[in-house]
Amino acid sequence: MSATTETHPDPSPPDATEGVEAELGFVGSIGAAFLDIAVAARELYSVFVRTLYYVFRGKRVKGAVLHQMNEIGVKSVAFICITMGFIGMILVYQSGLQAKRVVPDFTMLGATYLELLVRDFAASIGALMLATRVGAGIAAEIGSMVVTEQVDALRMSAADPIDYLVVPRFLASLVMTLALIVIAGTVAFCSGAATAYVFFDVRPDIFFNMQLVDVGDFLTGFTKCMAYGAAIPIVSSWCGLSTFGGSEGVGWATTRAVVNSSLAIIILNFFISAAGFLIFPG
Amino acid sequence: MTEAVRNPRLHALGAASIELAEIVGGMGVLLARILVRIHKFDGEELVKNLYKMAVKSLPIVAVTALFTGAIMVIQAAVIVKRFNAEGLLGWGAGFGTLREIAPLLTALMISGRVGANNTAELGTMVVTEQIDALRVLAIDPIAFLIVPRFIAILATLVMMTLFADALALFGAAYTGQGLLGVEPMTFFNGLTGGLLDFGDVFNGLFKSFVFALVMALASCHFGLATKGGAPGVGRAVNASVVASAAGIFVLDYLVSFLG
Repeated sequence: MSATTETHPDPSPPDATEGVEAELGFVGSIGAAFLDIAVAARELYSVFVRTLYYVFRGKRVKGAVLHQMNEIGVKSVAFICITMGFIGMILVYQSGLQAKRVVPDFTMLGATYLELLVRDFAASIGALMLATRVGAGIAAEIGSMVVTEQVDALRMSAADPIDYLVVPRFLASLVMTLALIVIAGTVAFCSGAATAYVFFDVRPDIFFNMQLVDVGDFLTGFTKCMAYGAAIPIVSSWCGLSTFGGSEGVGWATTRAVVNSSLAIIILNFFISAAGFLIFPG
Repeated sequence: MTEAVRNPRLHALGAASIELAEIVGGMGVLLARILVRIHKFDGEELVKNLYKMAVKSLPIVAVTALFTGAIMVIQAAVIVKRFNAEGLLGWGAGFGTLREIAPLLTALMISGRVGANNTAELGTMVVTEQIDALRVLAIDPIAFLIVPRFIAILATLVMMTLFADALALFGAAYTGQGLLGVEPMTFFNGLTGGLLDFGDVFNGLFKSFVFALVMALASCHFGLATKGGAPGVGRAVNASVVASAAGIFVLDYLVSFLG
């Protein structure tokens, strides 16, 4: 709801916006930006509420959710594995370097890494990757449907585009984000363990240390998965549905979907992390 | 053909490898073509792109950086509390922010905003035959369109990373005060106490330069290779964003070892 800074993609040339700014003055342009954010927040809220309504009340086309699960989940596995594998190696290498400067003791490296992975990095970095792949895909697909008037055709046949297009993506993303993040965490942990073994001589059985992971970490990580899984399709569908202006508009919608979903993830991460820290301190 | 169909998995693997080689090769050739013409860019186009890419991205980079700094402190907070080491908070959050998280997240945000937009713009020009029109007018599209965008993306990302570094540390300092009761002065002492130096900042900036290189090449390459009308533009944007993100992570790994 809060990720709406990038709300007014103006496809008109920059001269036009400059003209508006000159007309409104400095204070006026700040006010215009706030109004844009308020309008966008209301639209986003409306998409979210209608999606929740149709999840329980709508009629679903058979196989639509499964098809989206394949599109969103199965086709992202390779991408997630590659990026998270590399991020696992980087994180362990960097934290090993960092630890070396203070205490040259690597026995707790794995335990600390696993705790951070469960509580934050697996969910947040994995979701940022999903926001680029899944978010861009959803927005491009729905956006091309809007500019080729297929969404209007749906409305004419009395099928709400939210029910027909957004709900299957929403349900599929909720399930698949969780599954992908579990995979992402596993891959990142294994590549991290390999890095620790090669560079810092930490044996994998010492590296795999669950002692610091507690219920609070699991709950925080799980809440993050759910929140990101819901936020990515809602934000991207909203960007796709508000597309206008031909093929350039589709490009804009995709851009906004990626940026706004990433921003939503970062902001949700802040609030969930802070809440997690306050509820389960230490 | 019958040979290939006999083993469809092998066929798919080969096709994927050739496609990957085509993308990497295309980006390499594009880089060479840009470097040959690097001295004759269009100044007006450069200024226009810098405004559109850098100035217009400031709010997003600012929000991302402030929240990122805050998140880094929250993550470090558990460890700081466990060891009761408030003085190390600045160093702990600063090391990760300067060397890793600020360049990485800024690159991902700029790739979403600037890279995707650049691909969409170039792709639209290709499908509406504006590039061909430039060629007809004997204007070199690489020198006129691509070189200014290439320079603008490089400049944008390095500047934005420096900006994000500062804002992330600012956000981190005040989150530390609110959440842990660590005074901002203690935080900054931890930051400047000798465990961190300009080398760490430079490492982050070098990373962002490399990220910008792959992002600029990927977004221009996929934009110019667009075909097939409006859906083609959507596909090109998607491919460009995914390639930039994957490239950023792989190069991040390689650069981390160099620094």
